Amino acid sequence: MNIVGIDIGGTFTDLVGCVDGRIVTSKTSTTPADPTLGVATSLALAACHLPSLSEVLHGSTIAINTVLERKGAVTGLITTKGFRDVYAIGRGNRIEAFNLWFHRPKPLVERRHTFEVHERINANGDVMTAIDTAEVERLALELKEAGVEAVAVCFLHSYANPDHEKIVGDILRRVNPTLFVTLSHEILREFREYERTSTTALNAFVGPRVRNYLNTLETYLRGESFGGKVHIMRSNGGVMSLDQARVQPVSMMESGPVAGMIGAGRLAAHLGLEQCIGFDMGGTTAKSSLITRGQPAIEDGYVIGDHASGQPMQLPVVDIVEVGNGGGSIAWVDLSGGLHVGPKSAGADPGPACYGKGSMDPVVTDADLMLGRINGGRFLDGAMQLDIAAAGRALDEKVGKPLGLSTMEAALGVATIADNNMSLSVRAVSVNKGVDPRETSMIAFGGAGPLHAIAIAREIFIPQVIIPKLPGTFSALGMLMASWRQDFVRTLVGRLGGLDKSIVERVFNELAADGKAQMQRDGVSGDVADFRFYADLRYVGQEHALSIRIENADLLSGDTSLVRGRFHEEHDQRYGQAAVEEQLEIVNLRLVLTAPRADTLAEQWLTEPWTPTDDKPETARDVVYDDPKNPLRARVLWRPSMPAGMSITGPAVIEEPNSTILIHPGDKVTVTEAGHLIVDIARKD
Amino acid sequence: MTNAAGAHPITVEVVRNSIVAYADEMANALCKAAYNMMIYEVRDFCCGLIDTQGRMISQNRGGLPIFLADLGVAVEDGIKRWGLDGFKPGDILIMNHGEVCGQHLNNVVLYAPCFVDGELVAFAANRAHWVDIGGMRIGFGSSLTTEIFAEGLQMRSLKIYEAGVRNETLWQIIQDNVRFPQACLGDMRAQIASCQLGARRYGELVQRYGRDVVEACIDRIWDQADMTVRSVIEKIPDGVYVAESALDNDGRNLDQPIKIKTTVTIKGSTMTVDFSEMNPQTHSPLNSGKSGGIAAARVAFKAITSPELDVHDGCFRALDVIIPEGTIVSARPGTAIGLWSIALPTTIDTILKALAPALPHVIPAAHKGDMGGCSFYGFREDGSRFLLLNIFGGGWGGRPTEDGEDASVSVCQGDVRNTPVELQEIRYPVLVEEHALREDSGGAGEYRGGLGVRITYRSLVPCKVTINCERTQVPPWGLCGGGVGAHNVAVIHSQGVADRTVYKGTEIQLLKGDSVTFLTAGGGGYGDPKKRDRAEIANDVAQGFVSPARASEFYGWRAGA
Repeated sequence: MNIVGIDIGGTFTDLVGCVDGRIVTSKTSTTPADPTLGVATSLALAACHLPSLSEVLHGSTIAINTVLERKGAVTGLITTKGFRDVYAIGRGNRIEAFNLWFHRPKPLVERRHTFEVHERINANGDVMTAIDTAEVERLALELKEAGVEAVAVCFLHSYANPDHEKIVGDILRRVNPTLFVTLSHEILREFREYERTSTTALNAFVGPRVRNYLNTLETYLRGESFGGKVHIMRSNGGVMSLDQARVQPVSMMESGPVAGMIGAGRLAAHLGLEQCIGFDMGGTTAKSSLITRGQPAIEDGYVIGDHASGQPMQLPVVDIVEVGNGGGSIAWVDLSGGLHVGPKSAGADPGPACYGKGSMDPVVTDADLMLGRINGGRFLDGAMQLDIAAAGRALDEKVGKPLGLSTMEAALGVATIADNNMSLSVRAVSVNKGVDPRETSMIAFGGAGPLHAIAIAREIFIPQVIIPKLPGTFSALGMLMASWRQDFVRTLVGRLGGLDKSIVERVFNELAADGKAQMQRDGVSGDVADFRFYADLRYVGQEHALSIRIENADLLSGDTSLVRGRFHEEHDQRYGQAAVEEQLEIVNLRLVLTAPRADTLAEQWLTEPWTPTDDKPETARDVVYDDPKNPLRARVLWRPSMPAGMSITGPAVIEEPNSTILIHPGDKVTVTEAGHLIVDIARKD
Repeated sequence: MTNAAGAHPITVEVVRNSIVAYADEMANALCKAAYNMMIYEVRDFCCGLIDTQGRMISQNRGGLPIFLADLGVAVEDGIKRWGLDGFKPGDILIMNHGEVCGQHLNNVVLYAPCFVDGELVAFAANRAHWVDIGGMRIGFGSSLTTEIFAEGLQMRSLKIYEAGVRNETLWQIIQDNVRFPQACLGDMRAQIASCQLGARRYGELVQRYGRDVVEACIDRIWDQADMTVRSVIEKIPDGVYVAESALDNDGRNLDQPIKIKTTVTIKGSTMTVDFSEMNPQTHSPLNSGKSGGIAAARVAFKAITSPELDVHDGCFRALDVIIPEGTIVSARPGTAIGLWSIALPTTIDTILKALAPALPHVIPAAHKGDMGGCSFYGFREDGSRFLLLNIFGGGWGGRPTEDGEDASVSVCQGDVRNTPVELQEIRYPVLVEEHALREDSGGAGEYRGGLGVRITYRSLVPCKVTINCERTQVPPWGLCGGGVGAHNVAVIHSQGVADRTVYKGTEIQLLKGDSVTFLTAGGGGYGDPKKRDRAEIANDVAQGFVSPARASEFYGWRAGA
């Protein structure tokens, strides 16, 4: 079995594969104009032959970038009569409570492209006003004339009765087959009209662009005689089929970052870490996630973009905190002489000044090169020669001269500010949650992660940093460990114990049927599929519910004491109290359907004994740490040559094909039996 | 407390973030377990840690701005009553006394002492809006009461748990004197658990670092905030700034407007807000205790000086509030205060208006200016009692360089959310027929005021509605030549009767099938409308934010031009 994972980030395209029993990797620049070029290059660099592969796993930032850059389709929205502005009104809340200049989420659909239809269904799912198909036919033509490329349909109470949405969907798809249509109940069958509308609109907005992208990718792969499966990484930490990704692109928003955290979780489990922080620094952003007993935290939904003005997305997602700082983040000086790094990034093209493509904007990578922290001759395993003179000119021009600093002072300033910014995102998943960083460790990866992780760890007193094997392509590696995963939900409101057995069974059967239909579409075997049902339960009168595992429908309609017991226990654990005398109410039923990977190639590799693959001698060079005038002489080692058990003390630089690890003075690094690096940070008392 | 300079900077960071994280955790535990939408949707609550002198150590993020570092007074009263040695581990206190808290009695404070090795080190406290507290007021906006004794049950620093043992007498009194005992007692359970959680977390922190170190860090955090705040005030030109506006009436005497007059003095690094010339307290429940006036001054102060900082005692050292007893924001003991919050948004806007000449690039035009909401009350067909409460947003004022936001909650409400229509229809016998932006409601200006909201409820059973529209006489004002926003109004549609426009009315009877439309105010405009970018005007018309008629009247717009 031969598999590869390809992760396309804003700056780099990373590949990791398990081919003929060994791990292959490559890293190349992302090619925004036609991402398949980067895919082709990464496959070629890793010497992967597509016809011999059985599976390609893929993660991409295309969906989320489409939202952040607001470069999606001209999108229309169809609502129930009277509810055109639900999307614009949102929940009316102001998260920045004291900010007189607050901004609330700005809809992705213009008001002039929002249309109402006469129809109404009530909370029981009963039709109060039937839909007029002639009106919908007219609207379909109107949408065409308005140049609308994608449309979201979200009617009130469609989670209870989706018939009207289905009718509209059928008409729109018939009248205008090229229109990208998203019906809310297909994405999320759960009440709360604003959040459902926003999630549906997000799907429509990114739909056409992502669909084209996936079509191009598939055409390329099939054209190269690839006959295996393609799986797309999802925000929930699992994977889905290409066909599903084409209709539900909203669920691949966080595909790249999530895969890395899945990998970090597996590594944490192997190392027996109770709690750790996954830290992933790439070209444009740095991301952090708290991992407990090997599991990254999962949220019910989140907002895409800024916390106060981002777009709500109500599907399960791995909880990741992101900050706009990466190797490609541009350093700039404001009018009052303040030095900033990011969030603007040079991306892959023109890239950092040191790429020599003519950019005069200094970025973090330029500073790292200037400080001697990275090796200009060995970047991307020597595939790209970095121009240190160009880096110096850009740093001088944009930072040094305006601030009256030497080139080296400017470079150190840029690196220090980037480290400070990134510490904030690590704080957000540790101290902000009451976790003392002094009691955790950090697993650092991403192309630039190992270079900056130790400075961050020192800043906020994380005592130990782990650099896994292949840190530069770790996100893609994480994909090779992800299960196929589907989340389904049905709103079903009723009192526990008072529910009609047949209704509960019907909803269970509907969920299972949805799951099985998706299994069939994706060719997933019933032998391996794991159906896990959950009921969202609450005390009667409460609003928020807790998801409680339910093995079968009988537990909700016959003797419910087992379920009650589980609920009281969970409620007590989460909120410090339980009211055993109170009645319980069901709100939703959920199904989490997973199918484990047929192979465990990647996990085996994570733990298998490490033997050096190369034998390069140690060298040394000057590296600037804290004092721009007095660089320290650092040992320079080649990671593929370092044997298990080897231990050295900084100052040192450890280089490997797709990443560089900067070890600060006094820090001690040890190679584990499996070849991961454990860095014990020197205490500064 | 020990010398603040002794705190290790990293420990300060851990303490800074931890104390707010604990308050957030308390808020989460309360909100997720709560039984009434005023808590779980409207987030009408606050959680925090209070030191043994009654000072606010930290407060949860989000939630109501007007609950600004005012948990301390409730706890302070308990310290006075019981003495610092009068608390035992396992005690839980309950407090909503009108004279001390100054807010309507629905706002009930629960708090727990935090002990470390037998030493009392702090309190964990929260306040939450109970859906009912007995008395003759139901839901929002009632103008019926004239003294506090008609407004419900008062509990002053009572121990609902003493050393872990529940006070069954007090529990029974509460249970028998509120309209929705299941919801109220459920919320109280959630509040108690939240306090216990906060006390446990803070205790762990003190255990880990020692009381001296933690308190030194807190001192340091307060000092840093104070320095930041003062550096902002120093940039405001010294001077005395005065502004005046008015509320329509007190809800009982409909002909008498209510004066809102604030005087703000900037001197060096301090700001003084003087409420001496506010309207005298009224004979209706439209009054608050002193804490209402202080909260209004603090919200305005914080918005100007440190909107991004966490809330604690250090943020307000540079603020003085002059507030003689007997005004509508400092009512005397025994006064009805059921409508305690109604005057606050306008009071805050008036403070900001006073400062507008001193901070021309900072202060926006007036926002919608009321708390905004509705309350329907009655019995379902199965005989069960229901009370539907919802909060509405409205327009915010145009800003010196951009348009105001649409449909947002008031300056007194932060992360406060309207209730989803689907949820309201699942729970209550109503049908919502429209939830829309109110076109043409934004004040004209170079930067237009934001739009209000239009929402229509049809009642599916006979029920009562209470309506409380304010600021119809002094609608949201513009600044620098901008126009006023449309004012609040409600319209009742009954079969066979002409539509009735209502501004204020308590417990108006609706028949099955009657409907009520609420139109909320738009924000004031900023700057001369004639200077508005032509492309923006064309866009307003294309999107339907401004009608062609209004565009031509206020902006000189012509179709096709």
